[in-house]
Amino acid sequence: MRLAVIALTAVLAAGAAGPAEDKGKVLGSSTAPLRLEVYSDFACPACRTFHEQTLPMIVHDYVMNGKLAIVNHEFPLNIPAHKHSREAANYATAAARLGIYEPVADALFRSQESWNETGKVWETVASVLSADQQKKVQALVKDPSVPAEVQHDVEAGTREKISSTPSIFLIRGAQRLPIPFPVNYGFLRSLIDGYFK
Amino acid sequence: MATSNNVVRWTTLVLRVVLGGIFVYAAWAKLRLPWQLFAMSIDSYQLLPTSLVELLAKTLPWFELALGLVLIAGWWLRISSTIVSALLLVFFSLMIRAAIKHQEISCGCFGPGETISWKTMLRDGSMLAGSLFVTLMAFVSRRSRTPRPAALPLDGTRPEPDPSLPPSASR
Repeated sequence: MRLAVIALTAVLAAGAAGPAEDKGKVLGSSTAPLRLEVYSDFACPACRTFHEQTLPMIVHDYVMNGKLAIVNHEFPLNIPAHKHSREAANYATAAARLGIYEPVADALFRSQESWNETGKVWETVASVLSADQQKKVQALVKDPSVPAEVQHDVEAGTREKISSTPSIFLIRGAQRLPIPFPVNYGFLRSLIDGYFK
Repeated sequence: MATSNNVVRWTTLVLRVVLGGIFVYAAWAKLRLPWQLFAMSIDSYQLLPTSLVELLAKTLPWFELALGLVLIAGWWLRISSTIVSALLLVFFSLMIRAAIKHQEISCGCFGPGETISWKTMLRDGSMLAGSLFVTLMAFVSRRSRTPRPAALPLDGTRPEPDPSLPPSASR
């Protein structure tokens, strides 16, 4: 919830994202000198930890002041334990097109154990949407371009040789640095601050 | 016998140069990137306090570079190969520990971005085996090169000087 509020502010301040990105999944300014690309799976516990613990600090310290933009990518793992991940990614992508990615992502991560076991993904998503938003998300998720966008993210991640989630990259110009997980925020802060000295 | 000795000698040489090259490459892969990335890799093993992690992240790549160069050059071979073997044993043990604990973490071997898997364990295990072989050979060849004192004949007479040796050596 806290992240959703911070994120909403950041999204409002955001400009246009790159051509290959879903603008609804970008937090922060398009002119930010640094970008943090995050590939995650909504059923992955480590992704939840990163989303709920580390990401709010990054948003507070670097996104709000325009130093960094966060670009979210879907990477639903194709394993039996995560059989509803792709469905969750589809709903989140549909929500992103309405500009409500973060509240949906927050809800999916918060209740991941529940929907991952019961398969009630839509119920989790619907719990944070208004009746009007529910209708729109349901309509959007049936649009073939939504699963195609998720698949595009998966293929991009595969090209990056991603084998686990979350996979995080810090990008500055042409430099693309893979950030080891779990993220030690002190070292990440030292790294980011180094670019602004 | 001479042929098998040659095979062992060449195998040791090749292994030594390959291991040295891998250490130099591993050092370069870390030194070309900000030290914080390697620090995060070390930290992901959750073994050391932050201050030690930082110290190790800043110094270990330079140590690896020096070790690799010394190994390639063949200097102080017994010492350098023993240190390389000890280091690889530590790395390999940490990987096994992470695998047992089901930690999906970056290996940190050649910079960030490589998660510990059976492939990384097979690679490091092979390197450790090669390094142990080089270390063993370094000690064996040293022992075989050390001259033994000539045994005195049982009848107490002085042994005949070896005509192939220079006079000073036969005295």
